[in-house]
Amino acid sequence: MSSYPDVTAALAELRAAVGEKYVHTAVEKRMVYSFDSTFQNHLPDVVVKPHTVEEAAAVVKIASRYQIPLTVRGAGTCLSGGPVALQGGILMEMTAFKRIIEVNADEQYAVVEPGVVTNELIAAAAKKGLFYPPDPSSSGMSTLGGNVAECAGGGRGVKYGVTRDYVLELELILPDGEIITVGNKVDGLTGWLDLPMLFTGSEGTLAILTRMTVRLLPKPEAIRTALAQYDELDAAARTVSAIISAGVVPTTIEIMDQMTIRAVENFLQIGLDTSKAAFVLLEVDGDGWEVEQQLEQVIAICKENGAVEIQVAHNEAERAALWKARKSISGACGKINPTKIGEDIAVPPGNIPKMIQAVKEIAEKYNLNMVVFGHAGDGNLHPNIMTDKRNTEEMERVNQAIDELFARALELGGTLSGEHGIGFMKAPYLLQELGRDGYLAQKAVKDSLDPAGFLNPGKIFIEKELEVTHG
Amino acid sequence: MAIEQSKIERWEKELSKCIRCGTCRQFCPIHQVLDDESYTARGKLYLVDQFIHGDFLLSDGFVEMIGKCVMCKGCTANCPSGVNTYQIFMEMREEIVKERGLSFTKQSIFRALHWRKFFDFGLSCGALFQRLIFKPAPDGHGQVARVPLPMAGFNQRRIIPNLPRKSLKKIVPLESKARGTERYRVGFFTGCMINYAYPQIGQDLIHVLNHNGVTVLTPKEQHCCATPLFTSGEKEIASDLIHKNLEIFAKLDIDYIVTACSSGGLAWKEEFAKVLGEDHPDYPLALELGKKTKDISEFLVMIGIDTDGLQPLQQKITYHDSCHLNRGQKIKQQPRQLLQSIPESTFIEMEKADGCCGSGGSFNLKYYELSRDINRQKTAHISDTGADVVAVGCPACLMHIKDGLAQDGIQAETKHVVELLAESYGFHQNRKGE
Ligand SMILES: Cc1cc2nc3c(=O)[nH]c(=O)nc-3n(C[C@H](O)[C@H](O)[C@H](O)COP(=O)(O)OP(=O)(O)OC[C@H]3O[C@@H](n4cnc5c(N)ncnc54)[C@H](O)[C@@H]3O)c2cc1C
Ligand code: SF4
Ligand code: SF4
Repeated sequence: MSSYPDVTAALAELRAAVGEKYVHTAVEKRMVYSFDSTFQNHLPDVVVKPHTVEEAAAVVKIASRYQIPLTVRGAGTCLSGGPVALQGGILMEMTAFKRIIEVNADEQYAVVEPGVVTNELIAAAAKKGLFYPPDPSSSGMSTLGGNVAECAGGGRGVKYGVTRDYVLELELILPDGEIITVGNKVDGLTGWLDLPMLFTGSEGTLAILTRMTVRLLPKPEAIRTALAQYDELDAAARTVSAIISAGVVPTTIEIMDQMTIRAVENFLQIGLDTSKAAFVLLEVDGDGWEVEQQLEQVIAICKENGAVEIQVAHNEAERAALWKARKSISGACGKINPTKIGEDIAVPPGNIPKMIQAVKEIAEKYNLNMVVFGHAGDGNLHPNIMTDKRNTEEMERVNQAIDELFARALELGGTLSGEHGIGFMKAPYLLQELGRDGYLAQKAVKDSLDPAGFLNPGKIFIEKELEVTHG
Repeated sequence: MAIEQSKIERWEKELSKCIRCGTCRQFCPIHQVLDDESYTARGKLYLVDQFIHGDFLLSDGFVEMIGKCVMCKGCTANCPSGVNTYQIFMEMREEIVKERGLSFTKQSIFRALHWRKFFDFGLSCGALFQRLIFKPAPDGHGQVARVPLPMAGFNQRRIIPNLPRKSLKKIVPLESKARGTERYRVGFFTGCMINYAYPQIGQDLIHVLNHNGVTVLTPKEQHCCATPLFTSGEKEIASDLIHKNLEIFAKLDIDYIVTACSSGGLAWKEEFAKVLGEDHPDYPLALELGKKTKDISEFLVMIGIDTDGLQPLQQKITYHDSCHLNRGQKIKQQPRQLLQSIPESTFIEMEKADGCCGSGGSFNLKYYELSRDINRQKTAHISDTGADVVAVGCPACLMHIKDGLAQDGIQAETKHVVELLAESYGFHQNRKGE
């Protein structure tokens, strides 16, 4: 959808659909809605904010009738450009859908609207002794709609999986404006195709989510936390692989390299040992003796693999102290160089040592400041490049480095998006990952649901552009 | 419009730190109420960025976005990249004033602040005439406007305190001597709110300090702390007021400067020097006196108070963290410690004690309804605790929370920490009927 009619024709109808107050065309409003957590900007022509399913469906019908691109936005914290109105058109903000409709303790599920912030559901569930595990680091601001649309993962992923594992039922608006419900509140499965799974992770390209039922779990009784320190990065990486292959399932395995440790220590001065080459933060949870046993097992594996020091938290304050370094990485990195470009890859956990090695080589080759950390337990790594977006020469090297990072991840049997989605930032690499036929199969699904291609155009499916660049 | 090159460079550096993560969404009280990216730091920083590069002009909408901010530092304190959003917004406001001048409401308020004599006079007249304009609030505390006064920003519904006939500086002597041996000598910076609206807080502060061996000097010529001016971008008059305040307190023979006003304290500690800038001749003095400045709770905990003299108060007390105390001055634990030392009282933490109350200094004059919407979350959390009293460390928060509780029909009283201490020391015995 590279050219489309002027939206002015549709404005009156949009105003009638969602109310005058919720249709914005002023340039400053469009500007603040022109980006997400990446550094790409594209101005939408109009920003609208529906408050009910009917209003949202009316917007979809208008967009469909006029063939105007329609991009949906939650909190705009996406790291792959998903909610950016790449081709202009209508940007529809979903944050007014903010009700937690039900938290059912007996059946262990919650019914929520897509604008609910992740932490609000986590808190509401906790009040009833329940637990919603997928917790992206952005859980204080991201919406559940955005989480489902991106199939967000988080620190607890090793043990508890990602958003997809919790989606039971979805209410959706299809591109023709019809409202349907897929899945059910019991096991999420209805009929033949696993439709909730199809829409989870579809990044606003197939349908608009308006209500979701998600599975909840009983809250684990106890959590134990340990921090292992290493003199060699490779030993830390080996520990991660060893824990996974031993069959222990910690909730968290976070790895931090020396550059990260130094950055955090410079920033906070909390007495981290900056001579260490890596830290691994581990957390196990469960009931009573079982947790203690897991903790012992994990500690033993760390030692076998060369951990030189291991600290264990004995209370909540000590736990917070051990987490402090991990939680401060983002801020700390900002001090090295103003602009932080966070990448997101995942490789099979056995290949973590190789991938970390690859990151180091790439940093050296392109002469860039890079730190590596991540939820290594499920193979997720976040190599972050510290740069300065004002330095165009360096940004050129940054782009080359990113290309190479993705290529190496794929070689190691990995995938592009550990958890941050494809959007348009990674769309060019999708073909590489899926191969032509795999790509076309996905595209066939998109074409049958949205033949005109007006829903979130320019994301994930960009084969036209690819044909140009890939011959 | 030409912005100084050095400023552009400084801003650029600061702006390039923003990683657009959106963390500021969850800490912005305005965003929480309006649910609109336009009011988040992230949104506004982007516009500032476009603005300084000349890609975007000062539109009315942008001016409104910059204005609809309570300057609570919620974004600044929680930004993982350490972007000094507060400073940028303040300086952006300066640019707006340079180009557009101040709004009329603000102009008239600020002229009055500058000409303290006139303001003194204005408000004592106000006390005489207030009965014409305001009627007592339903519960007898404070009053509501009989007629809306849009120019003064007073909404018909808002409850403002009974303006006392005399300001604090008129009631108390220059020097109030320590009881017993003098341990310290301090200068009391009252701030406008305590001086004009809540002089009893000032009297309580002096009592409590005297009781604990501290001599208090309250210079009559002191001026407004200038916070409403420099946060609105009016740098010139602000610098004038700052200069006068520094001059007046520099002359006193004191160990410390004490305040009971969160913004006043922050102004002395940090903002005076920042507003003046390194090149100003008063800059070293501002730094020096800034180091000497203590918030009253901070000071009392630092010197250690006579806890034996505290009498039982059988009350349930909760505490609201003012933005400019908590995030501004990192004072969080001291007021709690003081409150917990009151015998037979029960201290209960409220949820989100550090959430902004919506006052934002002169912000609530301009955007009263919006500031009430923010306040409603605060009063609900207060109500949940079932407390008899909500203690605060700032007169501006006190006024706004009092107003909110009355509007929402919640019974709890609102008091300054130092008022509760004075009450527990038994200083209120002969202050009945106020
Ligand atoms: C500091 C930081 C840390 C992060 N950490 C993690 C992490 O640990 N794990 C992780 O997985 N991600 C992480 N992210 C990425 C991001 O927070 C997640 O992808 C999140 O799920 C996005 O939610 P959102 O509400 O911001 O959605 P948006 O960014 O607004 O949108 C994301 C996508 O979802 C679509 N969408 C949004 N709402 C709907 C709807 N109602 N219907 C249909 N489509 C919709 C949009 O079109 C877009 O394609 C992080 C981001 C930041 C800034
Ligand atoms: S929290 Fe800081 S870095 Fe993140 S978007 Fe807000 S201002 Fe920018
Ligand atoms: S200072 Fe407070 S009100 Fe202003 S943008 Fe930051 S968080 Fe929002």
